[in-house]
Amino acid sequence: MIVAAFRSEWVKLKRRNLLVGTYVGLAVAASLFAILLFAQASATGGGDLPSLAQLAQPNGLIHGVNRAAVLLGIVAFGIAATQIASEYSLGTIRQLLVRQPRRPVLLAGKFLAVLTFMLGAVVFASLLATVAAFIMAHGRQIPTGAWTSSTGITDLIRALGDLLLATVGFTTFGLVVGLLFRSSVTAIIVGFAYLLPIENVVTRIVPHTAAWLPGQLLQAIAAGGLNTVGFARSLVLSIVYLAIAVVVATAVFVRKDVTA
Amino acid sequence: MTTTHASALAVVTTGLTKEFSGRRVVDRLDLAIPTGSVCGFVGPNGAGKTTTIRMLLGLIRPTSGEGIVLLGDIHDPASYLGGVGALIESPAFYPQLSGRDNLLVLARLGQLPTSSIGDVLERVGLADRANDRFNRYSLGMKQRLGIAAALLADPSLLILDEPTNGLDPAGIVEMRSLIRSLADEGMTIFVSSHLLSEIEHVCDRVVMIRSGRSVFQGSVEELRNMRTAELLIRPQDPRQLGSLAKLIATRGLEAQIDEDGVSVVVADGSPWAGELNRAALEAGITIVHLAERERNLEDAYFALTGTHSGDVEVNGALGGIQ
Repeated sequence: MIVAAFRSEWVKLKRRNLLVGTYVGLAVAASLFAILLFAQASATGGGDLPSLAQLAQPNGLIHGVNRAAVLLGIVAFGIAATQIASEYSLGTIRQLLVRQPRRPVLLAGKFLAVLTFMLGAVVFASLLATVAAFIMAHGRQIPTGAWTSSTGITDLIRALGDLLLATVGFTTFGLVVGLLFRSSVTAIIVGFAYLLPIENVVTRIVPHTAAWLPGQLLQAIAAGGLNTVGFARSLVLSIVYLAIAVVVATAVFVRKDVTA
Repeated sequence: MTTTHASALAVVTTGLTKEFSGRRVVDRLDLAIPTGSVCGFVGPNGAGKTTTIRMLLGLIRPTSGEGIVLLGDIHDPASYLGGVGALIESPAFYPQLSGRDNLLVLARLGQLPTSSIGDVLERVGLADRANDRFNRYSLGMKQRLGIAAALLADPSLLILDEPTNGLDPAGIVEMRSLIRSLADEGMTIFVSSHLLSEIEHVCDRVVMIRSGRSVFQGSVEELRNMRTAELLIRPQDPRQLGSLAKLIATRGLEAQIDEDGVSVVVADGSPWAGELNRAALEAGITIVHLAERERNLEDAYFALTGTHSGDVEVNGALGGIQ
């Protein structure tokens, strides 16, 4: 029955505006990040930019993709939050629950559909960003031999895996916030405000909180670990946070009366 | 509530109650909707109709009470909703999807054959607009798509909340005809409306509620036959209106004071006129006017629900008022 809910949700997700808008939009944005990174890279590097020599390393290819991680996460959060919250604002949740009264089943199917949608978008964006990186490397005379070595391929797969894990986290976070606020606008405002300015301000004022805040942890997962917090700790803490959030949101969804 | 009892009844509830923040919206409601009937659900705005319907559909959890819908326990909606189709309040769909895709969402979710989508669209007259986006539909078309969604599961119980909302006169006639044809196929239909005319035209049974409580349940014929009379009594001294009303109240009748005197609803043909006149005289109240007016069905409705005509529309209502 989860499969039925999954297939049902995909009827909505595959509408042209949403599908093309998300996939193409993310691919263009991720490619742009890669293009700008390679265009701005210098022989010595500096600031936040890698040097040309660093870009020639086996993991050089993933620098561009990693730059787009936050954007991909934000989009995943927004789409997931909207997909669930709009069911309340449109009133369609009534129809859905009459056809599938087992609420956890409906929720699971919906979550998996949104998740596959976002994972597909991230994979597509990463592929196009990779192509853009190859083109830019050729233009900047950066050797790409190391990228296609076994080490390079392994790094690329690992980076993509990290990005997908972070996408799972951002999507789950979005669904939970959408479910709790039941309004697309409120969910988006609250979620974006928390993920962008609030967490950033907090970590600037109290740097060690970066090792505890969910948005920072998901960004660390996407990057394969950061100086402020390692990958393993980010993964474990994120799983704990999201598990608690999912349990709370599911309990609310199951028990709360539908008056929308 | 035995199984035999329940099988003769598509819906039966006992003491169904719902409270929101301590406010009782549905109050110990006992419903009995016979299988195969077209049952109207009438009451003024805020009477608890939609909350009751939502409890039957598993959208709202009852605070207390029991219920059986299509032999399934109301506390386990998954056990019976497969046989239920519903239009709840205004039709809610995805504005960017076509009518057909909106139904596809529901068909897939309910694991219903997608081949039925064309049939229900044909049935509600939307087949030629099936591929248009929902946000391009007129209000009437949206309502018809709502009916199509309700019919998608080929339900044995159809629950419709204000199905004629937004329909033009021709659409209302079509809707009545559709409801009757579905009833002729053996479908049980529970239809809420604030239009008494809808009940008269399509229903064979009526449930009336007021403040969450049932005030009448029975056939439309029984309701038609439920005649009452209204006595209008005017004392010589207008200052005695209050005393007269109290005197009437001591006899278990509900008196209302207005500018013309005191009005009281009594059973048609009862000896109350003489008795009240005698009692008033004994109490030193001189009656200068005592008249009996036969009440029509709308009056009976308003008396039962305690509403005024501003709360419920009576255009074309039972009893033939147009």
